[in-house]
Amino acid sequence: MDNSREIELRNKIDAYIKGSLSENEIQDLWNTFAKEPELLDILELEVNVKAAIEEEAQKQVNSSAATIQKLPTWTWHAAAAAVIAVIALVQLFRIQTPTDMNQFLVQQIKPSQVEMADGIRAAKDMNITTADSLLNLGFEAIISGNDSRALELFDIVIEKYSQEPYGSKAYLNKGIVLYNDGDYESAVSAFRETLKRVEDSNMITEKAYWYLGNALVNLGQLEQAQEAVFNTYQMDGIFRNPAFRLLKKLSDDLGTTDYEEFNSTQLD
Amino acid sequence: MDYSKFVDAVLQQDDATMNEQAKVITPVLIKFLMVRMNASVHDAKDCAQNTLLVAIEKIRQGDVNHPDALINYMFTTARNEYLNEFSSSRELNYDDPPEHHSNPADQLNKLVDKEKMKLLKHCIESLKADYKKYIQYWFQHPGYETSVVAEHFGITVNNAWTKKHRVINAIKKCLDKKI
Repeated sequence: MDNSREIELRNKIDAYIKGSLSENEIQDLWNTFAKEPELLDILELEVNVKAAIEEEAQKQVNSSAATIQKLPTWTWHAAAAAVIAVIALVQLFRIQTPTDMNQFLVQQIKPSQVEMADGIRAAKDMNITTADSLLNLGFEAIISGNDSRALELFDIVIEKYSQEPYGSKAYLNKGIVLYNDGDYESAVSAFRETLKRVEDSNMITEKAYWYLGNALVNLGQLEQAQEAVFNTYQMDGIFRNPAFRLLKKLSDDLGTTDYEEFNSTQLD
Repeated sequence: MDYSKFVDAVLQQDDATMNEQAKVITPVLIKFLMVRMNASVHDAKDCAQNTLLVAIEKIRQGDVNHPDALINYMFTTARNEYLNEFSSSRELNYDDPPEHHSNPADQLNKLVDKEKMKLLKHCIESLKADYKKYIQYWFQHPGYETSVVAEHFGITVNNAWTKKHRVINAIKKCLDKKI
């Protein structure tokens, strides 16, 4: 068989296994298998290799599951006594303190807030782009604790695939990594860039306003933060309650308390 | 496989060549039915056998003689044979109407051969470390485009494909030796 044709067919076999061939392409491939049954052997081999690798990976996951180690009974008594002592001490020295701004801020943004490729309903509908894959790889890097790699990947998306929705997703993710690294100034720029680019996504807009507000508070730019948090509150989404509480704190600190616009009975 | 040889053998009543060719076609039809129609091995074998008999009759009547037409005819016949068998042997339950009318997804997992799996795992284990790491990454991330895999390993897309084919060839070689 001609080398380039063999490569083309083997690439098709790979696509078949990954579920990305159309119905017509699948039938064409089977017609080819009928003519060249040795290619069907390759398909069979690859399906088996994939199954073997998946099975081994599953075994590793199962074997690395946490083992339960029982503590001796006396440790529970000691722990209980320690807790009682701490509570007694806290009661003794407790004084009324004003609320701290940090109580209302997001300390670490969870990886679940990172934007990835949109969900795929069926393997046959799978049309994942390079930008989607890069976003997914970035997420994987964050999960693995490799923030610098995640930033590199998001920068590639920004540089090469900045059309929507990829540009806004990449900037938002970059902002999240920078925020978690404590680089609030760069995080603010990334979140502002997200807001400039985002089109038709309330979820991304809301996240960008909320984390922008938090980053600005961390930088001490309270008035700008107040505006960003107010925008979050107005979006009436998943961050409405924490946004209201932070807004209240900001308004108290800035002396601009005016809750008339808010339905505080519902929220407080 | 040269289907014109099969057609000639049928027309010339050359049973030896016909059987030789049938041995090549039958496994393809069986796997087609198992993967595409989700047939059991037993049903697939029966249907493939019937399909061959129908195809031979059709060739004798002079209705099919072009190799491509014969392949299409055999796949269509295999599918129909299976559907006929399926509908006559299983009563439909009209209380539970199907939720969709699309074709079921291909059952590639039906090609998994548990007996071969042990040997295969051994062959994967005995690969060079970078080959092993590469093929594990490839199949553990089926959603990634080749360009992403290539970037992960710092190679070009063409080289990524070449490397994948080399690893598969290495596994095949190992498996052939063990079988």
